[in-house]
Amino acid sequence: MLKLLLKPFSARLSYQSIRTKLLVCFLIVTVIPLLSVGALSYYQSAKAIDSQFGKYGENAVAQLQQQTNAYLTRMSQTAATIYSYLLDPARSGLGDRSPGTYREILDKNNFENFLKALKTERNAGIYIIAKSGYYYGENNLDAAKLDRIPAWRAMPDDPTGDHWLGFYPQNHGIKDPEEGERLPVVLGLAESINNPYGALRGSVILIEENAEDLLRMFELFESDTQAHLTIADSQGRVVYETASEYEARDSDIVWHKDIEANDWTIEARLPAKSFYRSSGLIRSNTVIAAVASTLLAFALAYLFSSRFTARIRRLKDSMQKVSFGMLQTRTKVEAKDELGSLDVSFNNMVGGIESLIREVETNERQKKDAELRAFHYQINPHLLFNTLNSIQWKARLQGAEDIRQMLYHLTMVLEGNLDISQELVPLGRELRIIEHFLKIQEVRYGPVFRYELECDEALKKYPIPRMTLQPLFENIFFHGFEDGEGTIRLAVEDEGTLLRLELTDNGAGIPPDKLQKLLLPGEKRKGRGGLGLRNADQKIKLHFGVQYGLTVKSAPGEGTTIFIKWPKKEENPHGHVDGND
Amino acid sequence: MKKKSSALLLSATMIVSLLTACGGGGDKADNSQPSATSSSGGSSGGTKTVRFATWDTGDALKIQQDIAKKFEESNPGTKVQVEAYADGFDQKLAAGFGATNPPDVMYMWDFPTYHQSLEPLDDYASKDASLNIDDFYSGLFNYGKIDGKLYGIPVGFTTRVVYYNKKLFDEAQVPYPQDGWTWDDFKDIAAKLTDKGKKQYGFGVRASNDTYDLQGFVWSNGSSFISEDGKTIEGYMNSPETAEAIQIFGDLVKNGSGVLVGGKGQQSGEDIFKAGKLAMWESGIWPLAGFKEAGIDIGTVEMPAFPGKPVKGIIAESALSIAKDSKQKDLAWEFVKFFVSNEAIKMRTADLPVRVSVVNELKVDQDPLYKPFYTMLERSDNTPAFLLNAKWNEVNRHLSAAIEAVVHGASAQETLNEAVKDGVRYLK
Repeated sequence: MLKLLLKPFSARLSYQSIRTKLLVCFLIVTVIPLLSVGALSYYQSAKAIDSQFGKYGENAVAQLQQQTNAYLTRMSQTAATIYSYLLDPARSGLGDRSPGTYREILDKNNFENFLKALKTERNAGIYIIAKSGYYYGENNLDAAKLDRIPAWRAMPDDPTGDHWLGFYPQNHGIKDPEEGERLPVVLGLAESINNPYGALRGSVILIEENAEDLLRMFELFESDTQAHLTIADSQGRVVYETASEYEARDSDIVWHKDIEANDWTIEARLPAKSFYRSSGLIRSNTVIAAVASTLLAFALAYLFSSRFTARIRRLKDSMQKVSFGMLQTRTKVEAKDELGSLDVSFNNMVGGIESLIREVETNERQKKDAELRAFHYQINPHLLFNTLNSIQWKARLQGAEDIRQMLYHLTMVLEGNLDISQELVPLGRELRIIEHFLKIQEVRYGPVFRYELECDEALKKYPIPRMTLQPLFENIFFHGFEDGEGTIRLAVEDEGTLLRLELTDNGAGIPPDKLQKLLLPGEKRKGRGGLGLRNADQKIKLHFGVQYGLTVKSAPGEGTTIFIKWPKKEENPHGHVDGND
Repeated sequence: MKKKSSALLLSATMIVSLLTACGGGGDKADNSQPSATSSSGGSSGGTKTVRFATWDTGDALKIQQDIAKKFEESNPGTKVQVEAYADGFDQKLAAGFGATNPPDVMYMWDFPTYHQSLEPLDDYASKDASLNIDDFYSGLFNYGKIDGKLYGIPVGFTTRVVYYNKKLFDEAQVPYPQDGWTWDDFKDIAAKLTDKGKKQYGFGVRASNDTYDLQGFVWSNGSSFISEDGKTIEGYMNSPETAEAIQIFGDLVKNGSGVLVGGKGQQSGEDIFKAGKLAMWESGIWPLAGFKEAGIDIGTVEMPAFPGKPVKGIIAESALSIAKDSKQKDLAWEFVKFFVSNEAIKMRTADLPVRVSVVNELKVDQDPLYKPFYTMLERSDNTPAFLLNAKWNEVNRHLSAAIEAVVHGASAQETLNEAVKDGVRYLK
């Protein structure tokens, strides 16, 4: 089943394999460096930012802690200074009721001048509130409104020690705030005076510091880090908390500091998500960039490879068409690159094949024509030979020995000529047929010519196209010699891989203008002359290759020399010869 | 084709690293704490900076900043740095003088305390005709002189008058007070206009008074806090006339026609007056605009007289001084001069114009609401105590306590005797 499924896919894959490979290659080349560089830079910068942010948060919280601590310490110190001032026996004149006499007022004024001197720019109020409700300090306080401070209200009737009142709007002035008026938020400390000595026992020192700057710092920190800030007192009561809702989780990043001045704790919580937001941002940026570049690379690779493979496929399709026999197919040459030259060579090749096949076709047709012609001329050799033999016998019985001789030689020559079962015959056989031919000529003309043969026995076994030599001899007798008179010399030499045959006569020779056209194909012949030469040349070339063949040397009146060169080939047992086709 | 695509790949990779770098950089920038350090002042480049310290806040400060801007416009290359010291004025000014880094120009009234740190301005004033010194109300220069040397050019002033709520007078069918009225008239009216059921009082008595402001009453009764040579308080600060003048306020509280204001848990006199619960209120020019704004139909009248004695007034004056340690006194003088030019004085609406020509031009003294201030100015020819003795601030502590005791019910004569006993030691 799986195989069945895979098969088309793998077929597809193999079909598009170059494109796929190219794509894969491109993607690997692009994506690997991209991803590694992206991942590396993300990892590095995220690490740096996380640690920096962590340090920054730690420092920021430490700064808040320090600032808050400074506020609280200053307040404590102010309270302590007032406390010690009141311990001085000289201040025993300070009563906890409204002063009425000159002395009391003088003491009050001195005390309030002292308080004024303690007041700094940040200080929003320094008051000593007596049990009676009378107070020392600037005249802008309405002591009855102090209960508006939640932590003040929560104080016991007989307070002891320090009471940190936390952050609250200073809304206990004589003048009620006007509509929309924003009261400054202050940080309050109530310290009760309950030492057995000194003035104003049972009163409470109220120190208020303007906390706007501090709160602004908190807000800045909150908006900067998105952290949730909580300040709690030693009992765990929340003194300050970031306004927005927050749900604490274990995974939160927590910066925690203790404030020495009054055992408050300051804690900033940041959801892990927010903490890693910056690095997350980098990550998403990196991922986006990587994806975008990958897509870009993919698109480019796809475009490129599809162009590339399309050309290859077109070439392949063309080849397929050619293989189906559509030889007129040509592929379009688009560019001068390697594929372009491939296209060009393909076109050339197909062109070459086409013309070759056309040539072969022509040759075949000619061959067939020749065979048909030969068939046409073929007379039943048995009838011919039987008849000739009968005549031969008759001649013998009648004692006509010369006729019998002629008939015998004619039979031998005809046998050689008519046996068309073999195209290549051993040189020796061809030479034997020449002997018979010459005997006939001798009967015809009388012993007026000379024939010399030089040929090693060893060379006689090498094949030569049938009926190569006889036409040449015919030419010598019909054109070269007059009444058969002259000398013919035939020499066969071994030239390594080649055989060289030299046929010389001392006949009339060939006129130069005729000689030139002698071996050219397609030249219309005048008369019969020259046909033998050209046929012999063509036969050699057809069987052994164009580099072999005939050359003719001749001068009028001085005879003709014909050279034939052809390679040595062993005759195979089937009587066929390996060679060019 | 191939080369092109590889170049693109390269650039794509670069984009990634760029993005990463940007992201990192951006976050770092976000995290870095904004360094909010505003460098304060200092002359930079070609601009000269004049530092100008004032105690005013709110609208009055705004006016001064506008004047400073005008000065910058008419003096290219000059910058005026207005330093609003507000409540901390004395502290900061003293610190500046101590560190020899004081503002070049500053508001000033307490010449006995600071004159040693100030530049005498007689030469500037006399040489620079464009100041037109004769145009000033002549009495104003007395306040800026120590040992005959001029240390401050007056820029604004006020005298003190009695404001009254016409509506309350109408309701009680009491005629409005007129110039030339007496303290008996005053007490009478105060009693008539008191309606405790409505928490409405004839007059507001400050729980703690600035003794400076009370000098007008004392002078009006023919006395003073200190002798004219500045050496004696015995028989002045505790004279029967002084005691009588102070006792009036104690009595008003005692008999219920006056209410204590501005003390512990008490609203200020201005606020009660604005709420329409106070028939009369004694003050300078400052609350005038606020009263109008609060929709109170007010009238003003000069201070009441003691029978057979001339009414005397006191001037509260602001002057401009130049620090002795200033490095650019000429420029500082130009600024001072601009501050008292007609143009600048017209911009100053929070107190009264110091130039006669401006008053005449604007006809300020024709306005019935403003007229009593100028009447009182004519009556202000006595020298305030702090100018007569450099130790007056110490003595004043006792006097203040004494007066506070009086308004809280103590006997004026006895308390003043005590205060004199305590105070004389500073004068030896």
